[in-house]
Amino acid sequence: MLTICDISSLVIDRLCDRARWQNAAVACFYFDFSAQKEQPSASMLGALLKQVVGGLEEVPEELSQAYEDQRKVIGGRGPGLSDISKMLHTASSERLTFICIDAMDECAPEHRVKILDSLHEILRKSPGVRIFMTGRPHVRAEIGKRLAGRVASIAITPRKDDVIGYLRTRLKEDTNPDAMDSTLEADILRKIPEDVSEMYVEAMTLEKLRQVIH
Amino acid sequence: MSQLFSNITHSFNTTVSHNFTIADERSQILAWLSPLEPRLRHQDVRDRRVEEIGEWLLQTEEFRSWCVGNEGGELDNVALFCYGDPGVGKTFIR
Repeated sequence: MLTICDISSLVIDRLCDRARWQNAAVACFYFDFSAQKEQPSASMLGALLKQVVGGLEEVPEELSQAYEDQRKVIGGRGPGLSDISKMLHTASSERLTFICIDAMDECAPEHRVKILDSLHEILRKSPGVRIFMTGRPHVRAEIGKRLAGRVASIAITPRKDDVIGYLRTRLKEDTNPDAMDSTLEADILRKIPEDVSEMYVEAMTLEKLRQVIH
Repeated sequence: MSQLFSNITHSFNTTVSHNFTIADERSQILAWLSPLEPRLRHQDVRDRRVEEIGEWLLQTEEFRSWCVGNEGGELDNVALFCYGDPGVGKTFIR
């Protein structure tokens, strides 16, 4: 019903809406435990930089120069972590830049250290950078420490409004509209949220909801 | 007249191919930065998201003060961490 990555995508969308009239940049990244090998620190920060640069009218000179330089090397090679870090700082120093990272706990620990240190460096140098992160509670202390305590935290738990929103959507999608009249709908929306608890966990269908109400 | 027309065509072609080169080089540089495409994953997550869920977060004091620009001087909490079980409420109601 409510997943942490939904929260990330909601925040990213809202920031993108804001960015349009505020001349801000938004870059996002979703970590995935099953893709850890394909998500090393350089590729991850490179993907953020790619989005920030993608919103600029021109590719910064520093970046096109770095690209040209590596082409001289036989076979070429990808940009290194420290170069990407520096370029990300340059690209984000001119305007408000939102960096959103989903599931920090699903990043391999050795890469997480490097990423957090790079982000800390960027935060230190660019006052217009804001970082939004999600993850399981066990990485909270590490993030706080690596970012030198400049982090506010919010616990994500389903709220009454989430349950109501979810139920509304499900009721709208109900394939058996005759079975649902407006009184019953109102009853469900009124009753269920008050009973929000782990009691209801597991496979609650609309059919079962009706049984609960009656 | 035909000379003039030929010149215009010529300059038009030059401009077009010049723009193509720039656009091409730009996408090559961006691809060089990273093979990953997080925007695709974002599209995927957002398409499955239920409307209105999580809106409360955007109204919290922590979120609001975090996303305001740099108005009112130095901001202490430049980062915001939202924590929980990844599937919080996921199995709550199906």
